[in-house]
Amino acid sequence: MDLSFVLDGLWTALQPINLLWLIIGAILGTIVGILPGLGPATGVAVLIPLTFGMEPVSALILMAAIYYGALFGGSRSSILINTPGDGSSIAATFDGYPMTKNGQAGQAMSIAAMASLIGGVMAIFGFIFLAIPLANFALNFGPAEYLFLFFFALSAVVALSIGNMVKGFITMFLGLGISTIGIDLQSGVHRHTFDIPHFTEGISFVVIIIGIYAIGEVLYNMFANKQPKDVDGSKIGQKWFTKEQWRRSIAPILRSGPIGFFLGVLPGSGGTISSLLAYSTEKQISKNKKQFGKGAVEGLVAPESANSSAAVGSLIPMLTMAIPGSATTAVMLGALVMIGITPGPLLFENSPDLVWTLINSMFIGNIILVIINIAMVGVLVKILKTPPKVLYPIVLILSFIGAYTLGYSTIDFYILIIAGVIGLFMRLLDYPIVPLILALIVGGEMEQNLRRALVIYDQPVDMLFASPITIVLALLTLLSFSYPLIIKLVKRASKNKDHTVDL
Amino acid sequence: MWKKIAMMSSALLVVVACSNSSGSSPESFPEQAIEIIAPATPGGGWDMTARSIQRAMNADGSVDQDITVVNKPGGGGEVGWQYLNQQDGHFAAVNSSLLVTGNLLDQSDLTHEDFTPLAMLSTEWLAVATHRDAGFSDGTELMDQLREDPQSLTIGVSPSLGSGNHLAFVQAAVESGVDPTELQFLVYSSGGDIMNALLGGHIDVTSNSMSDLSEQYEVGEIDILAVTSPERLESFPDIPTWEEQGIDMVFPHWRGIMGPADMPEHEVEAWDEWLSNMVETDEWQTVLDNYDLEDFYMSSGETGQFFEEQQDFFAEIIEQAGLSP
Repeated sequence: MDLSFVLDGLWTALQPINLLWLIIGAILGTIVGILPGLGPATGVAVLIPLTFGMEPVSALILMAAIYYGALFGGSRSSILINTPGDGSSIAATFDGYPMTKNGQAGQAMSIAAMASLIGGVMAIFGFIFLAIPLANFALNFGPAEYLFLFFFALSAVVALSIGNMVKGFITMFLGLGISTIGIDLQSGVHRHTFDIPHFTEGISFVVIIIGIYAIGEVLYNMFANKQPKDVDGSKIGQKWFTKEQWRRSIAPILRSGPIGFFLGVLPGSGGTISSLLAYSTEKQISKNKKQFGKGAVEGLVAPESANSSAAVGSLIPMLTMAIPGSATTAVMLGALVMIGITPGPLLFENSPDLVWTLINSMFIGNIILVIINIAMVGVLVKILKTPPKVLYPIVLILSFIGAYTLGYSTIDFYILIIAGVIGLFMRLLDYPIVPLILALIVGGEMEQNLRRALVIYDQPVDMLFASPITIVLALLTLLSFSYPLIIKLVKRASKNKDHTVDL
Repeated sequence: MWKKIAMMSSALLVVVACSNSSGSSPESFPEQAIEIIAPATPGGGWDMTARSIQRAMNADGSVDQDITVVNKPGGGGEVGWQYLNQQDGHFAAVNSSLLVTGNLLDQSDLTHEDFTPLAMLSTEWLAVATHRDAGFSDGTELMDQLREDPQSLTIGVSPSLGSGNHLAFVQAAVESGVDPTELQFLVYSSGGDIMNALLGGHIDVTSNSMSDLSEQYEVGEIDILAVTSPERLESFPDIPTWEEQGIDMVFPHWRGIMGPADMPEHEVEAWDEWLSNMVETDEWQTVLDNYDLEDFYMSSGETGQFFEEQQDFFAEIIEQAGLSP
């Protein structure tokens, strides 16, 4: 690492034109993050024609800023109105929305922004020192390793619904079922497509997320919740978090950053898995376990730190190997090639200036974003004072627009409505939503990797012993399933002990 | 509540469905904006082709109307192409060999005969690559091993069975006397995923486009054993063609553009002029350079002829691959 490149990169990043694009990207990213359905992939794709006339380095700065900016913005609607716009902001609803209900919306948003900042900065350091070795390590993930990674992610999420495990499994299998819709890659067979061409590429999980959360939440509040205003609009709390909240948050933020970064580097796992795993890790090791789901600040900052660092991490395989790890980086890769940048192993050697400018701009961008997001807290909390008859139609309109931009098809409107009704019933009957969503997201890849592994390994049991990675992941899977049981046994044992002492 | 949803959906539908299908007279064509349909989401190969055409046509300036790109993804191109056939000659859609193979594989009812060919634009050449540690020195050696034991290697292809990447390998296998139905193909969704698997040693061989392989080839991580072009590529003079290795095959992975069925003569002529001018622009040359593509321009008449040849060509390989429905 040559210091002159670092300084040159800083200088280029600080050029007024690049700073301008960075700020534009940060603002656009925050906006597409807040709006349901308009994720960073769409945001970047829409801007592609604009990048034609730009300097390549400015284009890269702009696209990256939209990407990590969307992760900052993503938690806003999760915290305020319980409607995540994308997979990676689902975990922010678990404790973010309860904090709003407790009158801490302002604090929730400002500390979530701080968590995103710290997660992002940790990942940028990871990028600087570990980009190449990590990209090489990620190559060890073959079909068997991915299969067990997805097993582990699913088990950790199902285990979150302790006391409600059966329902957790039911919704997980529903999600896996939906993920089989579309052309099967390995055989080319159309499955459950009902001769509708739009279904051949499968059902977009983002449409389902918007349907179940946004539409489902609106329906629930209109039909089922007798008191639609369960949030006291006058009580929005302070804008700035308390010292006590900060003290509780710092360790979870620091623990979750690396989790997110590492999972971000693995192609195909990305923001959703990393934020959910960060949440479940934090919940399992926390002393305040009982508070999780009721507004524990740890449960908000952990996923936010993780998904922010996952975004930076997923740039690594895209830039070093030309292997996109997420929908957004896939769009970025196409756009970069178009403007004449060829990502790949030669990029770091041939264009170190470009790479270092990006790294420096990410530092500056993260700081700009935290300022934007904390400045917006005052405006955003006004959403809570908006009467439902104004707010809900707006949410519905945005949901439909968001769904349309994902597939450019009106068929998604029907899926959106059906998912909304399913979401309503899941709320009424107390079925956990997250296992369904995660199963839907990873289901397709999990199956394809299983099928590939079945070709590669003669005996299914060989998959388990394919590498140290699969063994570790299998043990973690076992642990997260049995964890609730172990806890119960330990409790019973200690209770028995108490009894004996009493007697 | 339901009223609200219904109203909003219909408002969106109106915006989406505003299209126009009136005929035109030779003097006035084009009388409205030209629309290029990318039958895929933004960011993919088809989208990039459509946007590159838009850019180069604008730079050329032969068309005095606006040129827009619209994305109609779904069904491996089917949604966008169906949409094209509801329009008039102001609309054109990007295509590739999937137009021909989709029908042969029974994945689509559409064939090239349902449209008006306008032009062939570009092609990329496909190549067979292995990890540098695999130790194959050329394509013949690889095929020799597969003839001995077809199950001894796993072959990664993307994005589907029946794709150009897959069928190019099938043809090379058939020409080498290997039974393609015995081979172990693993299907990945993109060329990037395949590279990941190849570098990590999870698959042994891949058949992929040169643009997806060139970076790792240049740094020496992978060996490229053979390329499907008729002559060695200018930018990679060290890579032998299949022809040189005694395998009689040339396999382009082409992209072209077509209009809706039954376009009037004068509209086809107008497009012929626009597109032949377009491929001469610097912008188009830059696009070809950036994506490692080669010029493959053919006029509307030549393209129609070429479609016929491709139809027969693919029908035969698909049958040999055991993929015929």
